[in-house]
Amino acid sequence: MSQQALVASAAGDDPAEGLRAVRAMRELADRLETLQVERARRLGWSWQEIAESLGVSRQAVHKKHNRRI
Amino acid sequence: MFERFTKDARSAVVEAQLVARAAHSDQIDSRHVLVALAESPGPARTALSDGGVDVADLVSRARASIEAGDALDPAALAAVGIDLDEVTRRTEATFGEGALTRAGRILRGRRKHIPFTPDAKKSLELALREAIRLGSKEINGGHLLLGMTRAESPARNILSDAGADLERVRHLAEGASKPA
Repeated sequence: MSQQALVASAAGDDPAEGLRAVRAMRELADRLETLQVERARRLGWSWQEIAESLGVSRQAVHKKHNRRI
Repeated sequence: MFERFTKDARSAVVEAQLVARAAHSDQIDSRHVLVALAESPGPARTALSDGGVDVADLVSRARASIEAGDALDPAALAAVGIDLDEVTRRTEATFGEGALTRAGRILRGRRKHIPFTPDAKKSLELALREAIRLGSKEINGGHLLLGMTRAESPARNILSDAGADLERVRHLAEGASKPA
């Protein structure tokens, strides 16, 4: 499928294509968040500062990332 | 149901987790179980190779198909105007080579358990029914293969793509899965 056809299908009426795009974006956002939070912690950012930048609570960001980073 | 699994069937379920982890899959479907069955000695692999299936080719097809289903699908992102190659290039400039892949591993890696898709669960249920149909109290790898080929499934599609004669493979798997 050409890129144009793909764009048309995602913006169009096929829920499968549209949902797949949403899933891929969520995955991409999660991976970028992981990298950014990891780096911010290494640079000495507090969980509070990271939480404010992400627009979530300190507890939420701590719970999500503290175990893996 | 799992208490009825033979050693080879249990190890296929465990191996399927490793296949999923290696491919960064966020779910396990029948293709992961098929790779696990095809890679270890047992009634399933015997039925496949005796049935004329090129097992190495089957495994590489299944793995390629699994990897194409990665959640970070370039085609799906392109559909909403995101160029994954460009995102990867910029991300690696800050975070080093392979950063996005590494982040995917971090996200999946610490997860203790990767869930089975409804398709994979259905395959396991059908394996139980196949075992009952064949008069076996135990469920072995042959029954798992029968379960995933009894109805439409991602694993059955891979087998068809690999040119497997499903009738023949099923017949051989039945022969290898009758109670001793």
